[in-house]
Amino acid sequence: MSQFDVIIIGSGAGGAPIANKLVKAGKSVLVLEKGPMIDAQPQPGVGQSGFKRDELLADGPEKKLNIPGVSNNGAGYYHSHVEPDINDEPHIYLNKNGGDTATIEGYTAQVVGGGTQLYGGVSLRFTENDLRLKSFNESRVIQNDDNDDVKREARDWAISYAQLEPYYVEAESKVGINGTSANQQKPFSQDVYHPPLNPNPISQFAFNGMVTLGQQLGTNIQPYRPPLAVITQNHPASGRIMPADPESAKTSYVNRFGDPLGLKSNTWVSLLRPIKDDSNFEIRCNCTVTRLKASADQVNEVFYLDPAGIERSATSTLVVVACSAIESIRLLMLSADADSNFSQRIHQNDLLGKYFLTHCFGGASGIVPERFDKSKALDADWATDTCAVTSFLDSQGLWAGAAIYNNTSDQALPVSLFRTLGAQDLDTLWNGFTGNAGLRGDNLINYLDGNFGRGLSVSFMANQVPQFTNRIELHPSVKDKWGRPVAYIKKDWHQHDRYLMDVMAQQCTQVLRNGLGNGAPVSGGSIYMADNALARMANHILGGARFGTDPNDSVLDPNCRAWHFDNLYVTDGSFMPTSGGANPTLTIQANAFRVADHLLGRL
Amino acid sequence: MAVQVLSLDDDYYLNFCTKHLARNNPAKSPLWQFPIIDTSPDDNHLSNKVSFIYQSTGTPPSEIGVFGTFDTLHTAIPMQAVNFDGQSTGFYALTVRVPIGEVHRYQFLVDGQPTLDPINPQRTILDDKTEWSRFFTDYCSYPIVFEEWEYAILRRLVDHILPFRNQDTQNFLNRFYDGLDKSAQYATKEGFHRLDASVGEVNYIDKLVARQEIHHLPTYKICLREIDRLLRQRNPFEEPQDMAKVYYTDLYEQMATGSVPGWNYSAYNNPNYFLQVLRRHAVLGAFSHPKYGGNAGGAGWAYLESKYQDSQGDTLFDWRAALERPLGTNPDYTG
Repeated sequence: MSQFDVIIIGSGAGGAPIANKLVKAGKSVLVLEKGPMIDAQPQPGVGQSGFKRDELLADGPEKKLNIPGVSNNGAGYYHSHVEPDINDEPHIYLNKNGGDTATIEGYTAQVVGGGTQLYGGVSLRFTENDLRLKSFNESRVIQNDDNDDVKREARDWAISYAQLEPYYVEAESKVGINGTSANQQKPFSQDVYHPPLNPNPISQFAFNGMVTLGQQLGTNIQPYRPPLAVITQNHPASGRIMPADPESAKTSYVNRFGDPLGLKSNTWVSLLRPIKDDSNFEIRCNCTVTRLKASADQVNEVFYLDPAGIERSATSTLVVVACSAIESIRLLMLSADADSNFSQRIHQNDLLGKYFLTHCFGGASGIVPERFDKSKALDADWATDTCAVTSFLDSQGLWAGAAIYNNTSDQALPVSLFRTLGAQDLDTLWNGFTGNAGLRGDNLINYLDGNFGRGLSVSFMANQVPQFTNRIELHPSVKDKWGRPVAYIKKDWHQHDRYLMDVMAQQCTQVLRNGLGNGAPVSGGSIYMADNALARMANHILGGARFGTDPNDSVLDPNCRAWHFDNLYVTDGSFMPTSGGANPTLTIQANAFRVADHLLGRL
Repeated sequence: MAVQVLSLDDDYYLNFCTKHLARNNPAKSPLWQFPIIDTSPDDNHLSNKVSFIYQSTGTPPSEIGVFGTFDTLHTAIPMQAVNFDGQSTGFYALTVRVPIGEVHRYQFLVDGQPTLDPINPQRTILDDKTEWSRFFTDYCSYPIVFEEWEYAILRRLVDHILPFRNQDTQNFLNRFYDGLDKSAQYATKEGFHRLDASVGEVNYIDKLVARQEIHHLPTYKICLREIDRLLRQRNPFEEPQDMAKVYYTDLYEQMATGSVPGWNYSAYNNPNYFLQVLRRHAVLGAFSHPKYGGNAGGAGWAYLESKYQDSQGDTLFDWRAALERPLGTNPDYTG
């Protein structure tokens, strides 16, 4: 088949929900995915997965950067087997000295399922206020915002929480998520979560600390089990069956590891594998889309490189771009460079690539007095919304709130303990260990005694103030392995972001002090303090093609269709006008289900 | 017995070929991923699935095959064209089953012409000066790139990085190795003579710089020669591997500061950097999956398992629960 109802570019959180819904409704769908197909083990049956519980495969041996002209040329870097080799496809960001630095930050994963293959699975909803930060802040007092940027730049989403809520339920049900809804400060029309597994006992300290924090802040909000995209019972929607012992799902080979058992609800096992044999569905893996061609307001041809690098094309009635914000923006810009009609329409205002967003994030970490087996854990055990409610935001003069949760699987395995020592991100792995030559012999034992199975961290995830100057462009000189310009990321933190991160890091620190006692070793901090703070994205790459109700103020209309195109949609995180006070994946999935309903109405 | 040829889907090969080989510009990173060495749970992990890839960029060859020591050395096994959507991709592939713990040399036979593998950076030169492409399988404990004297010096240096040299730890490791049952012996095929009383970190480093981090091999070769020369200069009466501990601790501390008296900085200008690489490799060797050649039988993990227990004597690092059999005990994950 070469003519489809819909072509979807990308098989992750923004694309797979649409494919699932449209194929089940009888529409013909082609998914083009740049990465390989790595399936979970067959179930039932004997077989193997290309994902392994293997730290060397998941974080990679060292490679040497070879991109003349960037500040870190010659530096070592590490990438998992499903992230790009940044010698082949770097992201470049403008560093604080005005030079260029290559980074692996901002890539999720290039594989069927995209970033949902490697993520920790935290699947929180955004709050009602997260979707209306302009109206929420209109008459509020905001600290550390000298130019009133928040009030000028905040945007309400084109949809309300109430409009999105049924799609949250749909996503939670079809993806397969465990957690609890009680104590979450968001309205739930239904609770379709699988029951959570028992928390790792080390998390009790975090639970106690969160309870006390709620009391100290006067909200008395209790913690809840954070929703995690890991099934804990049979999941009929995807045909997945739970192993005899559900606790075997609990392994610290989770965050940044693909799951060989398919219990982590990546979009392949949850949404695409169930439709893979349908005659109206096709997925072409190892195929890189290079440009879209338009005639008037119709995108009428999608060009891609096949697995051997030969250019091919396919056509469809509707086209959905969902290859993660930075790469989607890049694809739209490269398409515009090759086609003046496309260019005029996508650049109908100067907003494409602008208001690029990630999250304000950070937290605190401490050492607990006893040791626990952290190798049996999922990514997070307890969460609290006590820092997301209006009374807290008013007391601190903050424009938006944050979800706070404890990380359980971090530094649980011995290699990861050393690899991430003192490292703040994927670009600085190993530096803390290799830079400390005294950490050897007996000192190494002392370090293990003090840290192995004893580290507990608490993180926050918060909205970043949208800024026009935070943007994605095409790099003027650096090219990928195909000779195409790579993405160029320019961003900085707003004054209020720094203030917000300080406040939230203090709350995380307080959680640990509450849980561990005032004398316990606890340290807090936020990402803006890091040397490479400008690159950091937590793999939450959002904005750059925001949706809205005003064509002069947005790139996409309320249905995520590009203004001035009839059939071009963008459904990864780039549609977000604000980044939400929680991890974004579930909201990307819910919105994609919403857009799927709209597309069904057109086909 | 003839080698077993396995039939795999074209997508299996394309999953590696597209990412690493399909390109318009020359590769900047070593293409160590080829031949593809994959696990074989269907064989209880006693063999690997080894896939050779040949990339034709011009006129397609009329005959393409592989010959090597994994089979009868001088008969080429034909490779099959890898297709996408019914069309040729220019990639050719062959998958064979090769026992774990082995080293082999091979060449392609392209239209009758013996040809070194243009993708795989691993090469070996025989005594008769002939050059071959090389691969080795998981759990390999044959030396690949280091000489015996280089192993010896590395072992002494690594002893100062990792905690496996004190008496308690050695006693633990001896008990651990003695206690390995038959089903675990596969993990340590060639025995422990080479691994001394440690967990095989140097064997791991040998494999790592032979393949994934081949870019560090020249650094090791130069620095080990320099260290050997320095040690002999500082103590002309003993072989470096027999010298007292103080010679190595002194050297370690000097390398950590970057200032090593007598070091030939024109041969290698940053001994501290070499130490940094070595320390990272040593830790990886102790705690990575045993198939990479270190952490023999899971000894590094078992050390932590034994060291860290709760008041009831239950371990606080139950590493076997997550891992495949026979190394681990997970009933579902096949490895």
